[in-house]
Amino acid sequence: MTEAATVDAFAGRNDGVMELPDGADAVEWYFEQGLTDGLPVVPPTPESVAAMVTALGGEPDLVECRVPPRWGSLSRQVLAINMVMAGCKPDYAPVVRAAMLALCTPAFNLNGVQATTHMAAPLLVVNGPIRARIGMNAGCNVFGSGNRANATIGRAIRLVLLNVGGAWPDDLDKSALGHPGKYTYCIAENEEASPFAPYHVEKGFGPEDSSVFVIAAEGPHSVTNHVANDARGVLDSIVSAMATFAHNNAVSSGHCAVVLGLEHAATIAGDGWTRHDIRSYLWSNAWNRFGDIAFDHRYGKVYNRNLPRWYRRDPDSRIPIVPDPDHIHLFVAGGDAGRFSAFIPGWGHMTSPVLRGIDGAAPQSGPVCVDGTCYL
Amino acid sequence: MTSQDTGRGVLVYDPRGVVEAEATPLAERVAGLDGLRLAVLDNSKWNAGKLLRRVSGQLSDEIRFAEVNHYCKESFSKNAAPALIDEIVADNDVVLTAIGD
Repeated sequence: MTEAATVDAFAGRNDGVMELPDGADAVEWYFEQGLTDGLPVVPPTPESVAAMVTALGGEPDLVECRVPPRWGSLSRQVLAINMVMAGCKPDYAPVVRAAMLALCTPAFNLNGVQATTHMAAPLLVVNGPIRARIGMNAGCNVFGSGNRANATIGRAIRLVLLNVGGAWPDDLDKSALGHPGKYTYCIAENEEASPFAPYHVEKGFGPEDSSVFVIAAEGPHSVTNHVANDARGVLDSIVSAMATFAHNNAVSSGHCAVVLGLEHAATIAGDGWTRHDIRSYLWSNAWNRFGDIAFDHRYGKVYNRNLPRWYRRDPDSRIPIVPDPDHIHLFVAGGDAGRFSAFIPGWGHMTSPVLRGIDGAAPQSGPVCVDGTCYL
Repeated sequence: MTSQDTGRGVLVYDPRGVVEAEATPLAERVAGLDGLRLAVLDNSKWNAGKLLRRVSGQLSDEIRFAEVNHYCKESFSKNAAPALIDEIVADNDVVLTAIGD
C-alpha cells in the first residue's frame, strides 16, 4: 500500500497552519496525513519556516510556479515548508528554488514525468561555486548517502513533487516500478578533480557561475573497466552499457547522461580527448539494429513513432541511442579510486533536460569555447 | 525556544499549496450513437492504434456512424494541440480514445 493524503485536516483553513493538542507527536501526524515521502519529516516551526522564506528572497505569498499534475501553487511559503520538512538548511534555498523553476519549465514536461508508468525521476546535477559553499558532495559515493546537502536538496524536490504536485504513487504517479532516486537524486560535478571543463561552462556559463541541471532519468547503470588504459577502451565499456534495447532511450530517443569516474576521466584526458570527442565517440558507436528494436517484426510490423522520422528503419539500420552527441550530457564525479563510470538513461523524447543558472546566472553570449574548441 | 516547546500545542503546516482551478463539467451523454460522427483519437502510444482500430471496427459492425474520422496526437505524454482539439470538436459528435500502453 502506498500513502496518499486521504484526510484533509486543513479543510476550511486559509492560513495552512493548525495547532495540535498539547503533547501530540508532529512527526507521526505528518505520517497520518499522508504528507511525507515515507520517511519521518522535520516538523516545521514558525521560526524555521520564516528563516527559509527569507533565504528564498522573502515575499512568502509569491508563487514561483505551479507543479503538475495536481498543479498546486508553489509559493515561497510552501516551498519553505517542504524544505524544512526535508531537513534543508536555508543555505540550500537558491539550489532548490532554481531546480523547481527548471523542473516547471514547459520543455521539461513535468506533468508527463510525474505521471508516467516509466520509472523516471528528476536527477539534479549542480555546478559552480555554490557546491562548496553549501557543502555538497561531488566525490566518493556521490550518488549515495552521507551528505546533508545532496540528500535533503533532492528530498525537498521530491516532497514538493508529492505534496504540491500530487504525485502520490498509484494516484497521480503511475510508475510501475519507480526507482530509489524518487527519494532523493541530487549530485554535484567534481569540477576540482575533473580534467575537463565543467558541464555548465560547456553550455556557456562562466566558471564563476552556479547552475543546476535537471533531467528525467532512470537510475545510474555502473560501467566497470579495469583493463583499458586508453580513451577508446574505457569508452567502449560505456558504449556497451548504452547499446542495449532495454532502456527508454533505445526505443524512445531523447537525452541521456554519462558520469565519468575520476580514474576513467583521467585515462581519457590522458589521450588528449575533449568533452566533444567523448560525446561524439559515444554517440557514433552506441547504437542498436532497428531489427532488434522491432523484434524483427515477429509481434507485428513495428514502425516506432517514438524515434525520429528521419531514421531509416531497415532491419540492419543503425539506430543511435540518442539523436546527436549534444543529447549526451557528460559529467565527471566520484571518488579518487575506482575505475567506474555510469550511464544514466533518460525518459525519452517526451522531455527535454533543463539547465538553469542559480542566483540569476545566465549563459554568456557569443561562441561557447570548451577545451580549446569554440562552437558556433 | 521554539513554538514546539511553548506548552501551547504543536503547530503543523500544510505543505501542499493551493490549487486554483475551475471545474469543467462533463459533456452530456448522447442518447444513441447511430448517425453520429465518431472521432477516433490515437494518443500515439505503442499499442493505441492497434487497440483503437479493433474497437472502432467492432463498433462499426453494430452502429451506423455518419462518419468515422481518425486523429493522432503528436506526443502521448502531452496535451493534444489546441488546433487538433478544435478540429475534433468541429467535425465530430463523439470521441473514442485509449491509452494502449
